[in-house]
Amino acid sequence: MPTPQTPAAGRPDGPAAGGLVLLILRRLRDGIITLALVVAVIFVLTNLVGDPALVYAPVDATDEEVERLARAFGLDDPFLQRFAEYFVDVFTGDFGDSHWQKRPALNAVFDALPNTIMLTLAGIAGAAVFGIIGGIMAGARPGSVFDRVNNLTSVAALSVPNFWLGLLLIVVFSLRLGLFPTSGKLGWSSIVLPAATVAIVHGGRIFQLVRSATVEEMSKPYVLVARSKGFPRRTVLWRHVLRNTGLTTATIAGWEYVRLWGGAVFAIEWVFAWPGIGTLMINAAHRQDFFVLQAAVIIAGAFVVTSNLLVDLMYRAIDNRVKAS
Amino acid sequence: MTGAGTEAGAPPLLEVEDLSVSFNTRRGVVRAVDGLSYTLDRGEALGIVGESGSGKTVGSLSILRLFGLFDDVTVTGAVRFEGRDLLRLSETEMSRVRGGQIGMIFQDPLTSLNPVMPVGEQVAESLRFHTGASRDAARRRTVELLDRVGIPDAANRYHELPHSFSGGMRQRVMVAIAVACEPKLLIADEPTTALDVTVQAQILLLLDELRREMGMALIVITHDFGVVAATADRVLVMYAAQPMEHCPTDHLFQRANHPYTEGLLRLVPRFEHRAHKRLRPIEGQPPALTEPIAGCPFEPRCTHAVDRCAAERPPPVRLGPSHHSACWLAEERARRETAPDKPWEQP
Repeated sequence: MPTPQTPAAGRPDGPAAGGLVLLILRRLRDGIITLALVVAVIFVLTNLVGDPALVYAPVDATDEEVERLARAFGLDDPFLQRFAEYFVDVFTGDFGDSHWQKRPALNAVFDALPNTIMLTLAGIAGAAVFGIIGGIMAGARPGSVFDRVNNLTSVAALSVPNFWLGLLLIVVFSLRLGLFPTSGKLGWSSIVLPAATVAIVHGGRIFQLVRSATVEEMSKPYVLVARSKGFPRRTVLWRHVLRNTGLTTATIAGWEYVRLWGGAVFAIEWVFAWPGIGTLMINAAHRQDFFVLQAAVIIAGAFVVTSNLLVDLMYRAIDNRVKAS
Repeated sequence: MTGAGTEAGAPPLLEVEDLSVSFNTRRGVVRAVDGLSYTLDRGEALGIVGESGSGKTVGSLSILRLFGLFDDVTVTGAVRFEGRDLLRLSETEMSRVRGGQIGMIFQDPLTSLNPVMPVGEQVAESLRFHTGASRDAARRRTVELLDRVGIPDAANRYHELPHSFSGGMRQRVMVAIAVACEPKLLIADEPTTALDVTVQAQILLLLDELRREMGMALIVITHDFGVVAATADRVLVMYAAQPMEHCPTDHLFQRANHPYTEGLLRLVPRFEHRAHKRLRPIEGQPPALTEPIAGCPFEPRCTHAVDRCAAERPPPVRLGPSHHSACWLAEERARRETAPDKPWEQP
């Protein structure tokens, strides 16, 4: 009688745990390389679009005065030397000073950061409720009225630009119904519309992916076996199907959160004048406040890298527990 | 066609009467089962033989009313289990029958177990659902069952996930799931097709032993006459959704009547065949099940067909107490003296 041998290796506390440390180190290294690239790109771009000395100089300054100013700031140094200095400064925490806000650029970014964190978390929570719960219920009964209505809604939601949807919500819920403020951050009700915009657009994407994962899982043979034991459809869904789709679902929601930090949330912030990083970035760009713009982009990049790492680790953690190999 | 054992007075365990199943698909209506009838007594074993697409699997899944969750199915006829028509039960009543009174084993053990649930739990959940056993009692009974179906070190392997089991071991777990609540009927759909030859024999032996121990009736669905010979008392041969021949297993090998059965038996390779004696395949392809068939579905491929075969569907002809053949030439063919694997000469 063939007796399959249980592999001794691959237990969660065995070599897999060592692999996890290695994985974290590898991902941290990749993250730092990514951030360095972000710093390089943003520095080159901001130096291409304008001359900082011109911004600092008074409007009626002569060419000679501007040149003197540039020399004083070290702007006439070779490009590579300035880049190297900026690079070292950034990695030691000095992002330069905002000429617009007259304070360190990093402080301006840190003031805006909590607002963006709040908005992305509220938005992704709403998106998860719509996308995950809706996606499972629709995927469990494809073709039902619930499925058709939600499927149509989600396709519509992910097909429109997020800023347009934001404007639509303002017109309907602020201007017509007067339920929420149109913009800014004035108490808890201000977050409802921007968070709803995030929830609808990204919930639509989550819905589509969760729905198709559920439909696919429900067609697998083990589902038929579970039903042959007598379990009603709902029990099969909860006991068997969700155990298998849970990992995919958590990862899908995690990726959507990363996409928010990758830029999706910034346009929404601008539409609602939500005082977050996106609004700060656009204002800084208008005022040619390069240090603030650079700091904001780099910090947002750091959030993308960290969220990515967390999603990855969460995936590994659940997967290791599930497969134990 | 009705089988043996109905004379005894008490109703048979299972009575399938004129069962037809069709799937409404985008490409039209597919008749997967067309006019299937048979009976099965307590403790009896029936083999259902046919090619892929002959309706043997759908015919058996419809006993449990298990179709794809997203299929649009029309079922007519009756499936009486201990006198109750299963096709008319509510979903709640049906869930007591599934797994409780009728167990089922599926073809592919590699995909039939939930990959992220410990194997023991997959047996125990059925026990808890049907018998209301406590967690501990279900666990103890599961270990006994796993031990009985031949899982070595069952108590320790209870918590392992399916991927650490071989195909044969997983099929043993499937057997344990199917018989956990000591059902009165066990349906095995190609239980050995996906397994190695040596493991096949072990599983067949196990099924036969369990059937006798628990007094279960058994329906084995297969395309393999070896499996039929090893497990079944009676055989039902299906072709293109319709029953062709129904007879005791020993009749099958000595006195097969239907030309299709005969053709299938010629395809079984034998040791006494020499290299120059080639296997003779049945020429042609099975008919599409989307088109209505007026006559005998086998007529286009049958070397004995007469005019009537294409025009009218042959009814089952009774050739003995439990031998029926759906062929216009059945009685004529029954009178001949030649063995079925010799070519029959047309008069």
